[in-house]
Amino acid sequence: MHRHRHRHRDKGYKTGSGYQRIALIGNPNVGKSIIFGLLTGKYAAVSNYPGTTVEVFHGNITLDGKKFLLVDTPGVNSLIPMSEDERVTRDILLSEKPSLVLQVGDAKNLKRTLLLTIQLAEMGLPVILDLNMEDEARDRGIIIDTKKLKEVLGVEVVGTIAPERKGIKTLKAAISQQIPKVPQIKIHYGSVIEDYIERVASYLPETNISKRSLALMILSGDESLRGWLNANLEEATIQKLEDLRDECQKKVKRPVGLIVNEIRFKKAGEITNMVMKKSPQKGGSLSVYIGRASMHPFWGLLVLLLVLYGLYEFVGVFGAGILVDFLEETIFGKYLNPMFIKTIEAIIPVKFLQEMFVGQYGLITMALTYAIGIILPITTTFFIAFSILEDSGYLPRLAIMSNRVFNIMGLSGKAVLPMVLGLGCGTMAVMTTRILESRRDRIIATFLLALAVPCSAQLGVILGMLSALSAKALAIWLFSVLGVLLFVGYLASKIVPGEQSEFFLEIPPIRMPSISNVTVKTAGRAVWYLKEAVPLFMLGTFILFVLDKLKILGVIEKITSPVVVGVLGLPAKTTEAFLIGFFRRDYGAAGLFAMAQDGLLTPVQTVVSLVTITLFVPCLAHFLMMIKERGLRMSLTMLAIIIPVAVLAGGVLNWILRTFDINI
Amino acid sequence: MEEIGKPCRRAARSSTEESLFEDEVLETVWEIREKSEAVRLADVVEELGNEESIRRMQANGLIMIQDDKIYFTEEGECRARDITRRHLLAERLFADVLDLTDYEEDACRFEHVISPEVEEAICTFLGHPPLCPHGRPIPKGKCCELYAKKVQPLVQSLKDLEVGKQAKVLFITAPAMDRLASMGLVPGASIRLQQKKPSYVVEIDETTLAVGEDIAKGIYVKQA
Repeated sequence: MHRHRHRHRDKGYKTGSGYQRIALIGNPNVGKSIIFGLLTGKYAAVSNYPGTTVEVFHGNITLDGKKFLLVDTPGVNSLIPMSEDERVTRDILLSEKPSLVLQVGDAKNLKRTLLLTIQLAEMGLPVILDLNMEDEARDRGIIIDTKKLKEVLGVEVVGTIAPERKGIKTLKAAISQQIPKVPQIKIHYGSVIEDYIERVASYLPETNISKRSLALMILSGDESLRGWLNANLEEATIQKLEDLRDECQKKVKRPVGLIVNEIRFKKAGEITNMVMKKSPQKGGSLSVYIGRASMHPFWGLLVLLLVLYGLYEFVGVFGAGILVDFLEETIFGKYLNPMFIKTIEAIIPVKFLQEMFVGQYGLITMALTYAIGIILPITTTFFIAFSILEDSGYLPRLAIMSNRVFNIMGLSGKAVLPMVLGLGCGTMAVMTTRILESRRDRIIATFLLALAVPCSAQLGVILGMLSALSAKALAIWLFSVLGVLLFVGYLASKIVPGEQSEFFLEIPPIRMPSISNVTVKTAGRAVWYLKEAVPLFMLGTFILFVLDKLKILGVIEKITSPVVVGVLGLPAKTTEAFLIGFFRRDYGAAGLFAMAQDGLLTPVQTVVSLVTITLFVPCLAHFLMMIKERGLRMSLTMLAIIIPVAVLAGGVLNWILRTFDINI
Repeated sequence: MEEIGKPCRRAARSSTEESLFEDEVLETVWEIREKSEAVRLADVVEELGNEESIRRMQANGLIMIQDDKIYFTEEGECRARDITRRHLLAERLFADVLDLTDYEEDACRFEHVISPEVEEAICTFLGHPPLCPHGRPIPKGKCCELYAKKVQPLVQSLKDLEVGKQAKVLFITAPAMDRLASMGLVPGASIRLQQKKPSYVVEIDETTLAVGEDIAKGIYVKQA
């Protein structure tokens, strides 16, 4: 099912009987994606926080003439799924019949790695264990006797340092030459649970994984298995299984899932003690201190301010200022556009067609100029800055700092990850809401993303316009948007049913971002932007052109004028910006940018229009992703709330600014 | 200051019907005395009935009745404090640790059967709590006096652990405990508390985990 859902970003691979499937499994943030990239030559997003991969990626690899299909999966802490992305991974093992599991583990966290190995062993799946990040383990004084571990587990164990490509050759050899073996770990869960495992197993059909492991999932109360049970068993049998589960639960007093987990951990601990040596560390390294400072109640705030200042300087001043000036005004304004205008006028004699390309709403003079002259430099600088933040491991620490603020909106600090990602691109961010625990959290986060989180392109344009006005303008915009975010978030937390979920998040170590990963990631995102945004810019511009030619634009402007002119106090032409904002949020902002440049907006109008368009509808791609993740009805409901809220907020701000005669 | 922890002669714990009733009376008198100066016999009779048996306790040297008001004898007061203390400790144990909501009746039975050693162990285990779940003061015992001289409680919640300290996880009653468990936060794990604000951060081996206060409250540890 997931394959067609993700066809946009996961493509270019072959399946079929000639290809043996290898599932790449591991704890979150252990480097599965980077190993995937090294083996297949395909780039899957790599970052330094848990939950980078929320969807499945496929890639082919040929070793010694044997063909494989490698499947990169979201990280899991347990194969009894606790979240949507963990479920995706378990379901692959359950139904995709991988002939081998390549388990990637964090060498410095062997116990947690083995917790998964134990579960894979119980499932009866052949495993090759890759202990990644050996360098980080060594820095912490941790040495693992891989030879001994190999003997204990009875499977191939390979140590790697992925960014240095160390051990990758050995890993490839292991995949192509070894006969896959199931890890030899046997666990006894006590007579009561063992008895029920047997009884439950007797009702289960043959599948890709062992009946014992399925029985353990059922006894642990794994609700996510329900779909599979419904598809494979009769209702009466499922009822019987549930009765057995309840019976077992009554006999052992404490939750079965916890008992099972504890026994597994104990076993993992025993094995770890056999093969791991830890020598005392010699003091903390610099990255440890930076890591601690960035979540400290006081120093953490300073770090946050520093990060924001850096973002402002790099994206706002350098990207939106210097680069845009150069590209838009110099390259497009002085060279490209005059050249295109001349060429088009020379080769196309029809005025109508000429205007379509190089007129006021021209595909070149408007769409291309906006997309490449204004937005591209801004998004690219943002993506560079954002990739550095992602790879450094700072973002989860930001979640610690902002947990309380997010509590106001009924969310936990974990929601900072999709929200900050939303500052990059809302479409990607909606997908990342999958890392949140409850449906309620995902709904609130999706809603707030659509309402009040401007994407990098839009943000860049906005920052550019506001910093051209005054610091006061920037402050008014910021407080208005944050105010609406908090207030509406607070209301949403009261309205959306369900309990607020608890905050817990794994914090990765601070790492030095690698230039190559930042480059590759930024390039990937920039290309993605060009592919997605430019056609939409073209389409939006073309529709504006048609509306203008058919004189409908004037009609629409007249209809909306009570709101745009009356409530918001803006020129009627601003309607165009809001209209194209439907296609791309940033495009709408770029329209305002052009109007302000032409002196069509007063400072007050600039601020009001920017607050309104920030809160206004998400772009088309973002909206489609909302439909995919939250459903059509929910998305339309959100839209129905967002439009009046945006207009209301803009109207109130307009009224305040004018009534109190505030100078900007 | 109230004299604390002085051992007193206890009714035989064989729980005869008479001694059970005496305990009830003493407890009731203690509770009324918490709120008002004088304890009227009529109020106690209204609560428990059986005026005759109450009057008989005067003969047993547990209470004195004057002008229809009840006063403790020294022995009576001692026993009343003990029984109240055991009752309220039981309430705390059931409410906090076992996470029960409907524990009143069990607490009433529990108070009659535990020995001083068990009582002290529970008190220490709970970290010498000053109040019961309903906010009534728990009479102090000998162990609490020692605690006042800076003896660390055996068990404390992560919330009360000092920043920078190592501890061993004993049990977890926090919400989302299954997810914490899969990240290695299980009974027996050694942890270090890195910070409490703005969120709790604990280190378990090489795993760093941030948790909110609601979760921290439900993680019980023993300082290493």
